[in-house]
Amino acid sequence: MPTPLPTLDQQPEPSPRRTCALATCAAGVRATIVDIECSADEACRLRALGLCEGTDVSVIDARHAMLLDVRGTRLALGSTLTAGITVQPLPPRD
Amino acid sequence: MNATGSTAPRDTLRVAVIGNPNTGKTTLFNALTGLRQRVGNFAGVTVERVEGSFRTTDGQRIALLDLPGSYSLSAGSPDERIALEVLLGRDPDRWRPDVVLVVVDAAHLERNLFLASQVLELGLPVVIALNQVDVAESEGIRIDIPALTHELGVQVIPTVAMRGEGLDPLARALCLAITLPAPTRRFQLSAAATAALAPVAAALTADGLPPVAAHMEALRLLGLDQPEAHLAQVPGIAAALRDAQVALQAAGIVPSRFEAERRYGWIAELLARTVTRRAPLTHTVSDRIDAVALHRFWGPLVFLGLMALVFQAVFSWATPLMDGIQAVIGAVGHTIGSWLPEGDLRSLVVSGIFDGVGSVLVFLPQIAMLFAFIGLLEHSGYMARAAYLMDRVMRRVGLHGKSFIPMLSGYACAVPGIMATRTIEDPKDRLAAIMVVPLMSCSARLPVYTLLIGAFVPATSVGLGLTLQGVTMLAMYLLGTVMALVMAAVFKRTLLKGPVRPMILELPPYRWPSLRSLMVSVTQRCQMFIRRAGTVILSLSIVLWALATYPKTTVDPTRSPAQQQEARLAHSALGRMGQAIAPVVRPLGYDWKIGVAIVSSFAAREVFVSTMSTLYGVSDVSVEADHEQALQQRLVQARHPETGAPAYSPLMAVGLMVFYVFALMCMSTIAVTVREAGGGRLGWRWAGIQFAYMLVLAYGSAWLVYAGGRALGWGGA
Repeated sequence: MPTPLPTLDQQPEPSPRRTCALATCAAGVRATIVDIECSADEACRLRALGLCEGTDVSVIDARHAMLLDVRGTRLALGSTLTAGITVQPLPPRD
Repeated sequence: MNATGSTAPRDTLRVAVIGNPNTGKTTLFNALTGLRQRVGNFAGVTVERVEGSFRTTDGQRIALLDLPGSYSLSAGSPDERIALEVLLGRDPDRWRPDVVLVVVDAAHLERNLFLASQVLELGLPVVIALNQVDVAESEGIRIDIPALTHELGVQVIPTVAMRGEGLDPLARALCLAITLPAPTRRFQLSAAATAALAPVAAALTADGLPPVAAHMEALRLLGLDQPEAHLAQVPGIAAALRDAQVALQAAGIVPSRFEAERRYGWIAELLARTVTRRAPLTHTVSDRIDAVALHRFWGPLVFLGLMALVFQAVFSWATPLMDGIQAVIGAVGHTIGSWLPEGDLRSLVVSGIFDGVGSVLVFLPQIAMLFAFIGLLEHSGYMARAAYLMDRVMRRVGLHGKSFIPMLSGYACAVPGIMATRTIEDPKDRLAAIMVVPLMSCSARLPVYTLLIGAFVPATSVGLGLTLQGVTMLAMYLLGTVMALVMAAVFKRTLLKGPVRPMILELPPYRWPSLRSLMVSVTQRCQMFIRRAGTVILSLSIVLWALATYPKTTVDPTRSPAQQQEARLAHSALGRMGQAIAPVVRPLGYDWKIGVAIVSSFAAREVFVSTMSTLYGVSDVSVEADHEQALQQRLVQARHPETGAPAYSPLMAVGLMVFYVFALMCMSTIAVTVREAGGGRLGWRWAGIQFAYMLVLAYGSAWLVYAGGRALGWGGA
């Protein structure tokens, strides 16, 4: 199970660890979504698909379109979208 | 089926079926209703509306409406808008469900429960079908169903639609649901959020939405730029939403994220209490298949191999079945003809009806096979991979990766192809796909290609097991495909200028397709084709027969039967029309007969072959022989009446095929483009542009082939 989202109405606490664009992550990287910058329609669709702030994702393949594992499903996202998504990389699993 | 939308009798329980794409929703729908389905459109749009009905073991009649697959109730595409309008009781067809059946994928419960949680707040009785429980179990996921039922406050029924398991309990649950209280929101909002959203909910309630649904909508609308069209007219809604957003921000809440955070937060807590799973598999079967299917080198090769297999199957494996149908139609026509006295009635039945409709019906096996393969690719989960692989190519010409699916469907028929564009959210991307889908060589062009290739292209081997005939056929398909991409690039740089929306595509796990469900879909498509053959093509065949028969003239009985036939035709209304249009088609190397066949096939391409059959009187000469071969022989032997030289040449035949690759000759496609492109004047405008550009392309290219070929000394009649 992915890390449960904050269930309170407030935003998650900011973390001191570095953040980067999802587009810069290589295959195999796990990261937590910090912010989604795109049109409201696209953001709404991404959230419905389970990709919202606080969600952990794994990059399965990184090429022109990125292939992600999001809540156990496989999601392909175009490069302009992944460039607008800020993530916080997680330490690799043992 | 006799229970339809607004006319369903009130002793019938109306159930709307909704779920995420790839949950097995349609398989469950097909398993419940079988072939008792009616396929149509939702009023005003071409989103396919599939209704079906069945009786429970207790005799209760249940009418099901299969709503388009949606990830949430926020309408991004026309599909999702329809689902929302039906569930909110704002469907123009007035189809108000008594119960909503939400199909959720047990193996991906977390994501699926997002939509379910929205539906629970509509104020309607809900039943949840926990589908694919077998897959979930095989992946080590254990769901405590009584606990889940308790948490959700509605009946949860485990099902395996593919094997028909759980259908009876599901039917009983649907009947029982109407007697139970409707569910409500299962989580609480903070006092600040509740107060901020109250005016939005009040505005929606004042406009007629049930209070429960109004609260769901108030929360949902926070994530949107502006309310969807059907809610935008609610008095005061825009101002109430703006105020709510300001109030939420003041309370430290980001409005756009709020709904997703609250719902997924609640889902995470709920799953922690009801689902246990062993450590997630690091590499599922799907991942192992994808390692090859999406590989940078092997992926495109697998894709090309699959496409080659589909075409090989459609064009070779269907042949015995086609021969069988041809033999049966020929035999029936001959037998019925022999019962009738010599004269016009016999001519009408044999030449007009059996030849006309028969020459089109013979393609039924190919169409069934093409739809079966497209269904197989879609149901197995590969189609989404193909869209992912093709995204880069499509994007270069300005199309969305999802456009690949409508284009592939276009090989079967442009009508479902254009309808499949409804999954593309951006209107400009969608229109660009609609404009080029008819350039994909559909099954109606096959009869034309087959006839001309068989007559004028030798079956010379060109190596690798291919013949010149096969290569010519492939070239026609490639020509249409390449031109579709070129024209998409032209449209996206001119009339439909704008950035391509980025790809957001779910790649579902690979699944064995349900044979039963596949059969139901293919049967539906075949029924639609037969209906078309029995209506449009039958009418056109009778009209053509009449035009080719009247007015009559006396002919010299000493001349050969073929010459007599030609003289009769030249005198007929069809012949006179042909003479009138001959100057227009002469630059392309065509005589008046081909001119007539082209004009008559503007409503449906297949009619070209039946017109040529009528014009060459194939049935009168050899009723029992293979009509197609007889017609091919006639075309090869046809002579110019004045010079005595062959009337048709291979160069002209290639030019004619190129004409058919590009020309939009299909009433159904024009009708569907009008509706899909916005309907009314706007729709007609786009359909007009589509028809005109394809006609110019067809005429220009056919002329280029013929005139260019002759200039290069490749001959021509």
